[in-house]
Amino acid sequence: MRAMFLLEMKKNLQDHGLLFWMLILPIAFIILATAIFTSGSDEATKQQVIMSIIPGYAVMFVFFIMISMVTTFLKDKDTGMTARIASTPITPKFYLLGKWIPYMVIVWIQIVILLVFGKLVYQIPIEQPFLLLFLSLALAFTATGFGLSLALLVKTENMGIALTQVIGLGGAMLGGLWVPLKFMPDFLQTIAYFLPQYWAHQAFQDALNGVLIHKDFLQTILIIMAFGCGGYLLAVLRYPKFLKQARG
Amino acid sequence: MLVIHDVTKYYRNKLVLEHISLDIPSGSCIGLVGPNGAGKSTLLKILASIIQDYQGKVQLNNTKSTFQKKVLGYVPQEICLEQSISAYSNLCFFGKLYGLSGRQLKKRATEVLEEIGLSSHAKNKVLHFSGGMKRRLNIGCALMHQPKLIIMDEPTVGIDPQSRRHIFEMIRHLQETGCTIIYATHYMEEVEQLCNKVAFLDCGKIVEQGDISTLIQKYTTPSVFVKAKNLQVTALDKLGQISAYRQGFLIKTEMPIAVMKQILLMYQANTSELERLELVKPRLEDVFFTLTGSELREGVHSSSKESSKIGGVS
Repeated sequence: MRAMFLLEMKKNLQDHGLLFWMLILPIAFIILATAIFTSGSDEATKQQVIMSIIPGYAVMFVFFIMISMVTTFLKDKDTGMTARIASTPITPKFYLLGKWIPYMVIVWIQIVILLVFGKLVYQIPIEQPFLLLFLSLALAFTATGFGLSLALLVKTENMGIALTQVIGLGGAMLGGLWVPLKFMPDFLQTIAYFLPQYWAHQAFQDALNGVLIHKDFLQTILIIMAFGCGGYLLAVLRYPKFLKQARG
Repeated sequence: MLVIHDVTKYYRNKLVLEHISLDIPSGSCIGLVGPNGAGKSTLLKILASIIQDYQGKVQLNNTKSTFQKKVLGYVPQEICLEQSISAYSNLCFFGKLYGLSGRQLKKRATEVLEEIGLSSHAKNKVLHFSGGMKRRLNIGCALMHQPKLIIMDEPTVGIDPQSRRHIFEMIRHLQETGCTIIYATHYMEEVEQLCNKVAFLDCGKIVEQGDISTLIQKYTTPSVFVKAKNLQVTALDKLGQISAYRQGFLIKTEMPIAVMKQILLMYQANTSELERLELVKPRLEDVFFTLTGSELREGVHSSSKESSKIGGVS
């Protein structure tokens, strides 16, 4: 598993496209959205908007890692690498973990950088940093867990990109990452409770402001991670079929 | 000893392998040949533990499958390497998957680089390698853990003669060290050069297997090629089965040396008329065509579960 992890990290560090998706694009969006939505507002409103945008966009953009995950798994499948690795003693569970963990690390670093960016540029408060670190880990686990299952479910890269948009943008819209939930219709507010984005966003905002209580923290962690576990389980179940489709 | 016993495999309803049984003694090199869609790659995937849902039994020296993977080296038909990293890193990656680490890993990677002739390119990215270099590295990755059984699926496709020769030397060296090799290919001359046994696979079945020279003797007849001025077919009639071939005649006979002597006698008086007299040795390719026919194949045979069941009942 360690060999898989190190190889995947090495490949990702060489991938400049990943840098664009994971850091440049979200930072550009944060700057743009903040400029648009705070224009002409008073200081209190401005601070309120920033406190929603930065964690909101951080949560939204972590899901774009799914594109990279789909690409790498499909490439391995088409080049015969998946089949070749299956002929070695590494078990499917460790193969999937070895491919998955590097993306978790990347996403975790991404969240940390985006929050530090918010702190340095927009002076957002970071009142509960330890809780934020754990929340970031849980969110990284879930977003990449989704990515893992998606990578093993889709047949083409285009399908993967399309579904990533649905999960990433759809989840952001319905989870209250773009518009505060209170401004949305009741039925959409109900849907939000079934989305990891909603729970992550709420907990991030509270932890930044220093009002996240331990009970809510644990509840959020469990809910978010349940989604991630679901993704991993789905991937493990899907793996035999994925291997059957692999060349080699 | 690798024992393949009564292996049958369906893809959905399509029968891909039908009651395959093959005993491969330790230290032997067996060629697996057959037309496209014969089931060679599927059989190799089963042997390499990539496909695990099949009927029948595959057993290596009475071991269980997890142990089998550690003693097995699989060289796939595709070039399965990480292009963005170096040859050395690729070898180390596969070595680690087989449990090598530390000094042992480094030592083995250096040895394999030497064996595959890529020592001077160890730190170069695979992306910039030629087809032959990639093929050699593809094999090298399967040799890192010094496997006892090596499965090679068309390892010489699309490479230059130098690389091919190097790969042949590597395979001969592996044979000398006692490795068992299963070598799937379309190139009959490779099987003749490298293997001592051959199995012909067609439409998911083993249609023949055995010693190469025995099969050539069993399925083919030697020929004598003669080209001469003013040569009449009637003069050759009694020597064997005659057919026109490259502006001369091919005489199929069980006694080629005797036939050649007779032809030489015929031209004793005027040797300048005899332009060419050659013994044409039968090839494995002739056995292949005898067993599988020469019509073009579409790639996949299509016996269905239902039809085979019906066939079985009737």
